[in-house]
Amino acid sequence: MSRKVSVRKSVFAADEQYAFKIREMFKDKGILMLNIIGSPGAGKTTLLEATLKSLPFKAAVIEGDVATSRDAERISKTGTPVIQINTQGGCHLEAHLVWKALQDLPMEELDIIFVENVGNLVCPAEFDLGEDYKVAVCSVPEGPDKPLKYPHLFFRAGVVLLTKVDFLEHFNFDKELFWGDVKKLNPHAAQLEVASPVGKGMDAWFEILEKWLVEKRR
Amino acid sequence: MHELSLIEALIEELEKQNELNKWGKVLKVNLKVGAMRQVIPEVMTFAFEVSTEGTFLDGAKLELDIVPIKWRCKACGNEWDEERATNGGLCEKCGSIDVELLSGMELEIESLEVEDTDVTES
Ligand SMILES: Nc1nc2c(ncn2[C@@H]2O[C@H](COP(=O)(O)OP(=O)(O)O)[C@@H](O)[C@H]2O)c(=O)[nH]1
Ligand SMILES: [Mg+2]
Ligand SMILES: [Zn+2]
Ligand SMILES: [Zn+2]
Repeated sequence: MSRKVSVRKSVFAADEQYAFKIREMFKDKGILMLNIIGSPGAGKTTLLEATLKSLPFKAAVIEGDVATSRDAERISKTGTPVIQINTQGGCHLEAHLVWKALQDLPMEELDIIFVENVGNLVCPAEFDLGEDYKVAVCSVPEGPDKPLKYPHLFFRAGVVLLTKVDFLEHFNFDKELFWGDVKKLNPHAAQLEVASPVGKGMDAWFEILEKWLVEKRR
Repeated sequence: MHELSLIEALIEELEKQNELNKWGKVLKVNLKVGAMRQVIPEVMTFAFEVSTEGTFLDGAKLELDIVPIKWRCKACGNEWDEERATNGGLCEKCGSIDVELLSGMELEIESLEVEDTDVTES
């Protein structure tokens, strides 16, 4: 004999509560939080390194990786406070992990918190961390078909950054196709082209950060 | 890979619930999964089978109920279904860009079938 019991509970009910808590806390404090998502090697950490070197705001970084603290060590060299989260195999960050990491940051002094998610184009986009915007990072060598193949990230992003544009001519990259698909998926998202190691496109990126920060504090 | 972490979260939530509810032996888990959740059903059930081994859910069956993607236009109220994951695009009726997702992102434990130990008669 068996009986049926009704449960009706989201698998992520607990985690969604953490995302809510994070959002409420940063609304009070006027801190902008960005969730940076892209494939492994897309250039997320490199973008952060270049950003932190000349950013006119006080920032901190949370690094999400399956293993190692390599990226945190790289960020640390810029003098920015950084916390490493190792997901031990998990393919995306979840809000409860970020909440825990936040407890170790000097929150009162911050303007912007960058969260570098686990390198993965698929599921990090589905998990709300309590961020203000998702930042989609896609690099020229990955090819221009990624937006249509992995639409989730692109249609939830506040900005799409095409990185490694210094490689454009070597990869026969169809920029019109790429940006056309991004626009179809998400007409709201800002579109940027950067080559952060040589400083290309960084001014436009800083303008967006400043605009978002001003909006957040209005 | 991705399915495995969803299943791990599911098991964790069920273990928490079981502490409170003391369900006993679970025969079946009915899970609602939104079509936007990017899961392959066979991979989900396989991951469930493997990950429940040795837990209180050992031997339970995972039944998936796929919830279709539904969008609604906030400007004119138009509602439509979508086969594929998109951002909903523009409203076909009025062209508005202000659209919201009504369903498709579910990952919800709907119900369970548990062994009935209270039954004394047959
Ligand atoms: N040429 C060039 N190389 C880049 C650029 N951005 C990142 N890289 C290189 O790409 C590799 C992976 O970058 P990394 O930031 O670690 O990627 P992540 O995994 O997304 O954090 C590194 O060797 C970087 O030096 C770029 O804009 N141009
Ligand atoms: Mg990195
Ligand atoms: Zn994942
Ligand atoms: Zn409409």
